[in-house]
Amino acid sequence: MNASDHLHTLEIRNLTVRRGGVEILSGIDADLRCGEVTALVGPNGAGKTTLLLAILGQVPYTGEIRFCRAAEHGRGVPRIGYVPQSLPLDPDAPITVLDFFALSAQRRPVFLGASRRTRESARESLERAGVAHLLQTPLGRLSGGELQRVLFALALRDAPDILLLDEPVSGVDVAGEERFCDFLSKVQRDSRFSLLLVSHDLSVVTRHADQVICLNRRLVCSGATTEVLTPENLAAMYGADAHLFRHSHADGHGHLHDDGGG
Amino acid sequence: MKPVESILPGVFSLMDRLLPFAFAEPAFMKRALLALLLTAPAAAALGVPLVQHRMAFFSDAIGHSAFTGVALGVLLGVSPSWTMVAFGAVVAVAITLVKGRTGLSSDTVIGVFFSTVVALGIAIISREKGLTRNLQSFLYGDPLAVTDPELLWMAALFLLVAAYLAFLYNRILLLGIHEGFARTKGVRAPAVELSFALVVALVVTAAIRTVGILLVTALLVIPAAAARNVARGAVAALWVSVGVAALSGFAGIVVSWYLDTATGATVVLAAAACFAVTALFRAARPSE
Repeated sequence: MNASDHLHTLEIRNLTVRRGGVEILSGIDADLRCGEVTALVGPNGAGKTTLLLAILGQVPYTGEIRFCRAAEHGRGVPRIGYVPQSLPLDPDAPITVLDFFALSAQRRPVFLGASRRTRESARESLERAGVAHLLQTPLGRLSGGELQRVLFALALRDAPDILLLDEPVSGVDVAGEERFCDFLSKVQRDSRFSLLLVSHDLSVVTRHADQVICLNRRLVCSGATTEVLTPENLAAMYGADAHLFRHSHADGHGHLHDDGGG
Repeated sequence: MKPVESILPGVFSLMDRLLPFAFAEPAFMKRALLALLLTAPAAAALGVPLVQHRMAFFSDAIGHSAFTGVALGVLLGVSPSWTMVAFGAVVAVAITLVKGRTGLSSDTVIGVFFSTVVALGIAIISREKGLTRNLQSFLYGDPLAVTDPELLWMAALFLLVAAYLAFLYNRILLLGIHEGFARTKGVRAPAVELSFALVVALVVTAAIRTVGILLVTALLVIPAAAARNVARGAVAALWVSVGVAALSGFAGIVVSWYLDTATGATVVLAAAACFAVTALFRAARPSE
């Protein structure tokens, strides 16, 4: 298939983000295609989260982020879902998963209880994410993996056209990571949203992403996963740390050990 | 004000019928009880999101800014009850804006404002001899001296807090869970933060009349902390907190009448007792 056959849901042109006089991202060009999984990779401090925040309109930037009118959505402005990396720790928070859903679903203040509609849509979304049993669990009692699924279920509830996932497998063990990624692929295939996935984990990227955007404050490279993740590009992205990286297309278990600071 | 004020005698005679006890007989005791049943639950309801946003230090700073507000009132010859409210609101807005603009951590910003306003207050008081007597009732609280106009202000504030929370509670809580996520759900973070700081400042300065500058943070934090001991969800969290506050307000008044102790302090001790009881419940509950 030719690249031009794909509809873009998002086009980023010459995007630059400055903070305190420093360019955190400079001159980024990238596209997000309809119904595909795009991975955003790069070392710590490469500006991955900043790029997500720019797409969400939460940091000021220069350049352009265009949301393209995709015929199959029938809407001008796409809905963007966002799954944060995790939540700030508050183990005692008296907020259940259902309350969390209610906070953004209903006008009625949550201290008067969740409406029936909230309850039904929450249960349905949690079921799709395979965690319906967590409906009444306080947020602080969820394990890392459970929290991820809850956050994901909440993002899916609003039927996003574009879903942004920030490090979806950090803080989860390897088995949980695989399960989550398989589940993610399945949901993504069914719902056909465009997925932009920030990841440190190149095994996840090689296995699940169609496209890759390599970032290190500027665009290092982008394109189809198999073509982009070459030793040269990885060296350009991770610099001296590249030797720490074992990459193997055969077993797909390449893993990046990136201990570099922020 | 006059037609509104005419509500109060009706309320007082109703209280006579509901509370046929010696402690509720004097008019000043009725006013004190009303003042506490209006301000303590309002403070406790705000306390739930306040604790979630880790803003206990913020409410303490607003409380201490009242010290300066009172001094300013006396200096300018205006009623200190009102300069206290106005100055508290100004400090709340200033802290929120400076925190948002500079990106400094909130405890740092609050620390700077806290000491600055208290220093300003001390400077004014040291210059104006004879002001210290005026301050006593603000430092320790004096619910027995609450006036009718103050009572009406507390009632208006009670309604304001109820309406504010009904309208914005979900957004405040969502913001406390994860700011970036809340923004994607359409929460306008700076506006919500600013309005919350302002409402907290109004309630803190009103509650100072009842428990005093030194203890006012307790009215926001202790009931919400007690609720955290026993509540799993958002419904219980708010209502347990409000219930603890109403109970402590009532019990504090009654006990202080019979033991002849300072009313504000007794109310806070009653709240602390509620916290202790809920902590025992929590300890007894099997961990999941």
